[in-house]
Amino acid sequence: MPTASSTAFAPTRSVGDALLNRNRFRILGLTPDDIIKYFFNGNAIVAVVVLALITIFLFREGVGFFGKSQRDLRLYRLAGLEYVDFIRHEVDEHTAMTRDLNAARLAEFQKLTAEGKTPEQVTAALASFDAFANAFGDSIEDVRGTLSDLSDVAIATKTKARVNEDREEQRDMLLSAGKKEEADKIEIAPVNFAAETGVMKGTLPAFRKVNDQFADKLGAALQSSPHVADPKFQAKIDAVHAKARALIASLPQIEKNMENWNYDAPVPASKAVTSFLFGREWLTASFWQDWYGIVPLFVGSLLVSIIALAIAVPLGISAAIYVSEIAGPREKGIVKPYIEFISAIPSVVLGFFGIAVLGTALRWLSQTPALSWFPGFPMSERLNALTAGCLLALISIPTIFSLAEDALNNVPKHFKEASYALGANRFQTIVRVLVPASLSGIISAVLLGFGRVIGETMIVLLCAGNRIAIPDFTQGLGAFFQPVHTMTGIIAQEMGEVVKGGIHYRALFMVGVVLFTLSLVINYVAQRIVHRYRISIG
Amino acid sequence: MNAPVNPFVARKSSARTIEHIAFGFFRTATYFILICAAVIFGFIFVKGGQTVFRSSFPFVNVPFLTQAPETLYVFQFEGKKMELGDRDFRKFKEERHIKDIPAESYVYSSGGIFPCIVGTVLLVIGSMAIALFIGISSAIYLNEYSKQGRFVHFVRLAILNLAGVPSIVFGLFGFALFVMFMPMLQDFRNPTVLSFPVGFGHYLNFSGWNVCLLSGWFTLAFMALPVVITASEESLKSVPKGFREGSLALGATKWQTIRTNVLPYALPGMLTSSILGIARVAGETAPIMFTAAYVIRDKMPWQVDHPMDFFFQGVMALPYHIYVVSSKIPQNEYTERVQYGAAFVFLVIVMGIALTSILLRIKMRNRYRW
Repeated sequence: MPTASSTAFAPTRSVGDALLNRNRFRILGLTPDDIIKYFFNGNAIVAVVVLALITIFLFREGVGFFGKSQRDLRLYRLAGLEYVDFIRHEVDEHTAMTRDLNAARLAEFQKLTAEGKTPEQVTAALASFDAFANAFGDSIEDVRGTLSDLSDVAIATKTKARVNEDREEQRDMLLSAGKKEEADKIEIAPVNFAAETGVMKGTLPAFRKVNDQFADKLGAALQSSPHVADPKFQAKIDAVHAKARALIASLPQIEKNMENWNYDAPVPASKAVTSFLFGREWLTASFWQDWYGIVPLFVGSLLVSIIALAIAVPLGISAAIYVSEIAGPREKGIVKPYIEFISAIPSVVLGFFGIAVLGTALRWLSQTPALSWFPGFPMSERLNALTAGCLLALISIPTIFSLAEDALNNVPKHFKEASYALGANRFQTIVRVLVPASLSGIISAVLLGFGRVIGETMIVLLCAGNRIAIPDFTQGLGAFFQPVHTMTGIIAQEMGEVVKGGIHYRALFMVGVVLFTLSLVINYVAQRIVHRYRISIG
Repeated sequence: MNAPVNPFVARKSSARTIEHIAFGFFRTATYFILICAAVIFGFIFVKGGQTVFRSSFPFVNVPFLTQAPETLYVFQFEGKKMELGDRDFRKFKEERHIKDIPAESYVYSSGGIFPCIVGTVLLVIGSMAIALFIGISSAIYLNEYSKQGRFVHFVRLAILNLAGVPSIVFGLFGFALFVMFMPMLQDFRNPTVLSFPVGFGHYLNFSGWNVCLLSGWFTLAFMALPVVITASEESLKSVPKGFREGSLALGATKWQTIRTNVLPYALPGMLTSSILGIARVAGETAPIMFTAAYVIRDKMPWQVDHPMDFFFQGVMALPYHIYVVSSKIPQNEYTERVQYGAAFVFLVIVMGIALTSILLRIKMRNRYRW
């Protein structure tokens, strides 16, 4: 039942409507003006839709990675590759030590040659060391033999399982296409993992013996190690000694691990996630086992960004202060558009410049004797984290500059006036008043510059050297001159070559998801800082 | 006795010295940035100019700008060192009836970059049109129609976040959506993907558009969107409120007001400041790597059988070509020409767009004053 008031108002409103909207043409109850409004409204939604679509499609392609990775890790265990990797790890450690010894020998050789000794004299001087190094190197041979035998077994098992997977897939496809007869023809002989790995585990007693011999030989080699005069050289040898002792001490643990290893132990889903997020290896198209660990790429991206920001932040903020506070109007009128203009330089052109000019120039600079005291100099590679970092700095300077300059300009004028009135000079005003007052803006400028740097692709792809490895931080500052690979670079480099829908393809999308999340987080934090710490006095 | 002392002369103090040093540092930092950029420009211009310009008539290296890339062959012939492009090399051998001449070959190092220029221009025009259309419409909504509220806040948040998304992520997104998923109207049912019959024997197959212009356009346009929206809104805001109020007071509808009293004043500003953002997008390589660019393609974009095929073809693009020639072929005196030449031409195109925008903006600022 209509209330009294509504009946009373109804006629009035319709009269008013009629007066205002006479002869209005309507489609679906909408006037043309409404339609126009909704049209613009629809366009405004596009930004939201695009952001949603990016999220959906990145995850759609990426999430399947974990399932595939878990199956991959399961096969790694079932086929006994994990078991073999216990031995491989031992051998790898030994190889690394041998490499250290060789490097030490090379350094000593160069030093002695520089002192004016003939090659014969040098060889004679190093004879006792060489005997030790050879004994050291040979001690592992038997373990290596076992490793290679077991590797063959494990790989054969894995290949069988893979063939079966392919056949199953084929059969499923035929079945879904309704070709049952053809599907029945495909034979799948299940792999007996228990038997295959049982054979491998059966060699454990023999391996124990081999391992004991290895320990003896290595111990003997260490006993025979010579004492050299050069303290640096001796330090290197001692370092290898310590490592070798640690290896010998760890042998029983390795054997115990091998004994406790079980091919059938379940692989939890979380393993797939952790092996991606914390995996220290990104290894693809390997004969043995592919690894998709994001850590080396993430560290590479971070390292390059740190270099870039270390250069760009002081320069960008200094320029912002200069332009907003010190420069005259004419100078401002030239410098400001110029720096904004820099942001339009295509990154691929900068990358090319890095390859063609900057990389060579930096390496040449690092080879000058006057700078040889600097850690990491001379650089071994032309394209490394520093080359990419320098160019990325140039990319991020306009972002940092414009935003920081805005922030400085937004400081209310009376702040400055009050400071001058108290007798502060211009520099004191800048440092004590303007910069603290606009600090939130400057920090968010730096953050957004960081976002720009970490998302940049072409420069790192062309100039960072593309070596997928965690930089050797034991070298201190030298780590900055090593080639690295980055998250953006790996996507650009490998996306064109992968099988659509495969595990590698999905892994690249997961890297994309990480990048996307990172960019959102950086954006969010930058905004929070601006809102939270904006001075309310104005 | 004492010389008159000017009481306003600054006394020497440590604070003053520090100020001088600090200002010197700020100035040095600023000019260091400018010089670095100038050095890069200089290198590319000088080295690239040697490829693109000639000292004699017509002063421009016409073949470089009008031919497709070819393989370069460098060989010794009758004691002379010869450099020939692929076609000339074959002709040379035929004329002399020689089967084979031992030669070093460098891919893409001869011929020109014409198809890449065409591809880039097509990509920029298409994406610019889409980005401007959607961007300006959104800006009109946000500035003219919307009221402060949840929805508008949400839209603005999305725009802000979209601006920070890395270009390679846009590339991945474009690949996953446009290249791999978008529906195509085809006259057969594709069993491997989602497929809906639409009648007349046609099916909507969600098999994606493949690597093509259309995919590249949308990917680039979405990337440029935040810049265009922000720039357009800025321009709309600068139109005085009185213009709108006057029009509304005379009985004009909202749309009439916007059409006659807002857009004419805001549009030039919108276009010019948007173009700066678009120049930046035009310089991007990562988004088109998997969505629109081919390493090499024999046909020119207009050589298509069916008009619709025009939109569904991949193109060669200048930024991608620069990436290919600088990373996939060695650096030496023969390859250097095409590398610097391509970089130079691309830089000129992008910088040209950016410079036009900046100059127009300065001119515009002097035109309307209210």
